[in-house]
Amino acid sequence: MDTRSPTGPVAVALAAAGGMTVLGMALSGAGLRRSGRRVAARANAVVGAADRRTAVTAARRLNRASGTLAASVLFDSAVEHYRGGFHNKAMYTPLVAATLSLLVSAHGHRDRGHDAELARDLVYAGAGLAGLLGTGFHVFNVGKKPGGFGWQNLFYSAPLGAPAALCLSGLLGWLSERVRDNAPDTAPLVLGIPAGRVVGAATAAGIIGTVAEAGLLHLRGQFHDPFMLLPVTVPPVAAGFCAAAAFGGAGRPRPLARWMLRASAVIGLSGSAFHAIGVARSMGGWRNWRQNLLDGPPLPAPPAFTGLALAGLAALSLLEDQPE
Amino acid sequence: MYADEPMRPRTMQGRAPDVFTRGGWIPMQLRSDGEEVDFVVIGTGAGGGPLTARLAEKGFSVVAFDAGPYFRPLEEFASDEASQSKLFWTDERIVDGANPLKMGANNSGKAVGGSTVHFAMVSLRFRPEWFRSRTLLGYGADWPLDWREMWTYYAQAEQDLSISGPLSYPWGPKRPRYPYRAHEVNAAGLLLAKGAEAMGYRWSPTPLATVSAPRGNSPPCVYRGFCRVGCSTNAKQSQLVTYIPRAVRAGAEIRDLAMVGRIEVDATGRATGVHYHRDGVWRFQRARNVVVAGYAIETPRLLLNSATDRFPDGLANSSGLVGRYLMTQSNQAVWGEMEEEVRWNKGPPSLALTEHWNYDDRKDFFGGYCWMGQGPLPIEWSSVLTGARGLWGEALRRQMENYNHQIGLKMVGEMLPHLDNRVTLSEEHDQYGLPIPRITYSWTDNDKALIDHGLAQMRTSLELVGARNIFLQKDDTNHLAGTARMGFSRETSVVDADCRSWDIPNLFVCDGSVFPTTGGVNPHLTITAIALRTADRIEALAKRGEL
Ligand SMILES: Cc1cc2nc3c(=O)[nH]c(=O)nc-3n(C[C@H](O)[C@H](O)[C@H](O)COP(=O)(O)OP(=O)(O)OC[C@H]3O[C@@H](n4cnc5c(N)ncnc54)[C@H](O)[C@@H]3O)c2cc1C
Ligand code: SF4
Repeated sequence: MDTRSPTGPVAVALAAAGGMTVLGMALSGAGLRRSGRRVAARANAVVGAADRRTAVTAARRLNRASGTLAASVLFDSAVEHYRGGFHNKAMYTPLVAATLSLLVSAHGHRDRGHDAELARDLVYAGAGLAGLLGTGFHVFNVGKKPGGFGWQNLFYSAPLGAPAALCLSGLLGWLSERVRDNAPDTAPLVLGIPAGRVVGAATAAGIIGTVAEAGLLHLRGQFHDPFMLLPVTVPPVAAGFCAAAAFGGAGRPRPLARWMLRASAVIGLSGSAFHAIGVARSMGGWRNWRQNLLDGPPLPAPPAFTGLALAGLAALSLLEDQPE
Repeated sequence: MYADEPMRPRTMQGRAPDVFTRGGWIPMQLRSDGEEVDFVVIGTGAGGGPLTARLAEKGFSVVAFDAGPYFRPLEEFASDEASQSKLFWTDERIVDGANPLKMGANNSGKAVGGSTVHFAMVSLRFRPEWFRSRTLLGYGADWPLDWREMWTYYAQAEQDLSISGPLSYPWGPKRPRYPYRAHEVNAAGLLLAKGAEAMGYRWSPTPLATVSAPRGNSPPCVYRGFCRVGCSTNAKQSQLVTYIPRAVRAGAEIRDLAMVGRIEVDATGRATGVHYHRDGVWRFQRARNVVVAGYAIETPRLLLNSATDRFPDGLANSSGLVGRYLMTQSNQAVWGEMEEEVRWNKGPPSLALTEHWNYDDRKDFFGGYCWMGQGPLPIEWSSVLTGARGLWGEALRRQMENYNHQIGLKMVGEMLPHLDNRVTLSEEHDQYGLPIPRITYSWTDNDKALIDHGLAQMRTSLELVGARNIFLQKDDTNHLAGTARMGFSRETSVVDADCRSWDIPNLFVCDGSVFPTTGGVNPHLTITAIALRTADRIEALAKRGEL
């Protein structure tokens, strides 16, 4: 007899969340063919000159991506570092950096102008740096524990991938400023390379890193629920499409890539719902939220996929608009 | 229910407690005393639990008896050491010998689920050589089981109990990945690890029968460390929350608070059923086959007490070995104190271990041992301080204030089987009117050498991590085994490899008493693996008409 699957309300909730997720992923593919054709038509109309509005739209999308990641980092690190008792003052850093990153991302989202803002740039650069330092800290902490970089410490010590999300928030924000900040009638460039390619490559790399983190932690949880496989199967495909777009031909629609990215965005959101069910499965469930929010699966972590998917969609728009 | 309120049987109305919901029930098939069921199983612990479930799943009609209550962990397990002593087998026993065993909390349970309801969940495999320790290592006795076959049953047991263990285990032949990941190692375990690394030994997170992620209706472990007085969350994968519900769902009947006092044997020398005491009366259940799984004291006691004219020395005892070769395991400890806070009670008590001396044969005694991190609860700890250290009054109080700085290592060591370590029946009688068992135990010189070695090694490990005020606890023992050993012939053993008695073909013994040797690891996983094998063997015998 199978005593591995839960029964009762938990089983119902899992089925509901699973159904909604699958439906959301399917629906996120709807309408893509049509919009693909539209994009193609528009690209033909503006041969040779990138649409400046696309650049600003893409930049704002990147602000949202950066902000989503910052929000994920903010709440995640707040919970995790509170759990660690903030025993080191440096543990406040991600909270400050992510808050600022979130604020300037909101600012960027509302800004329809064509110029980079120094303040935003500074904050994004700071967030990127804080993320790097955090990664360094976490690596150091893992290394000095008995067992070193063995599985046990990768599972339970300071997570190596978590500060990297802050890095990504900073990076995407910085890229948004570069995308925004371009001369009229030129294709947006970052360091001399077409912006769509840079954003696409960065996003693909970011997704892969995030998949590794989710994979590690879901392995720690023994993929005990089949839906735990979603974040390690769909986003990697999205990352593949994203990378293919970044390194492939420009100026053409990529409906499959869009679909997979949107599906990843859905997974990021439904991931939080699944994690909420996970909290309910801990002893005492939500009635014992003060303990289970800390010890259960992290609610704020999965939307990192949503943030990255937004960045990927921004990259696709830039690439579709970019002359061949 | 209150601890001092006498419990009534709960499974008389065709339903059994649903351990996963407060006040819930699951339907259970009832059998009448007069129905000749395929199997009666006596005891529902590490041996009886899986055997009952597997036999029922294979389509046999099974009634399993347990002298203990059918508890509801969510409602009835308090975070209170004293009240939880209701889980222990504390019926009177007479102990003697040069090293009398301390019976009760540390070695026997009385509940549906047996000792696993309050066990420490350490789930280790034997070293393969131990199944042939006489031939390969020169001591004890060989088992009639092949380690490779056992390896597959260990894997099945690990799956069924969702053992949480490391992705790769440092000792022994390759094994499949543990079903769940190892738990985070607490500070006490990390100090063991540091000590082991300083000594050049490998260490590992301990494979444990408590889940590190949700499993079915079990929540993940909450690391409050009450495991050895019963787990109130159901994270612990005891028999009570694993095989017992499976058994009930597959059609087995579990009779709680039902003490079997005697096995009936007919004139042809076959078992016909059991006499049991439940709800104040003695009854008789008819059965085609009887399996005894009451553990190393109660199993021989029941066999001896079932003597007839035809079997005057007790059932299955033509070899004279029933009750003999009783083994315990050395459970000595070294304790110390750290400058920093350790909070050793956080989490299951033994989150890290080293099996170094189970696999290193460069020592001048037989047998092996492992040691594990410790986290005794306050009352248990105070009894160590009063017992092993002789502290009382103000000194005891001051030492107890250091509770959060304390660390310790405890060994699980292989004691050798000896003919004179045994269980017999005394002249005195218990509350059921049954003769009280007498338990005679003396350590051999080899046992003492092993203990000295272990204590010295553990002491070094504590010294190397900077522990102060180190002291030794030299007397403790824990798990039991032996008293109905399995073997190759009716002259030298009580049961064969299939746990079937040589003398009475429809009488089986399936618990820790069949161990010919006990190895240097905790026993439950081996008992469960044997039970799983026995179920398969019984099915095969039945198919061939040899039951
Ligand atoms: C505190 C503690 C910690 C432990 N920790 C570990 C550990 O970490 N790892 C490990 O591997 N092992 C551990 N053990 C040992 C392990 O629990 C036992 O070895 C194992 O449960 C024995 O299985 P069994 O089936 O032989 O007997 P048990 O599990 O003891 O089951 C026997 C059952 O039979 C019932 N019974 C006995 N006689 C009768 C009768 N006449 N009629 C009706 N019912 C009867 C009893 O009530 C009992 O429920 C621990 C034991 C204890 C006590
Ligand atoms: S520490 Fe874990 S296994 Fe032990 S009693 Fe608590 S929840 Fe149960």
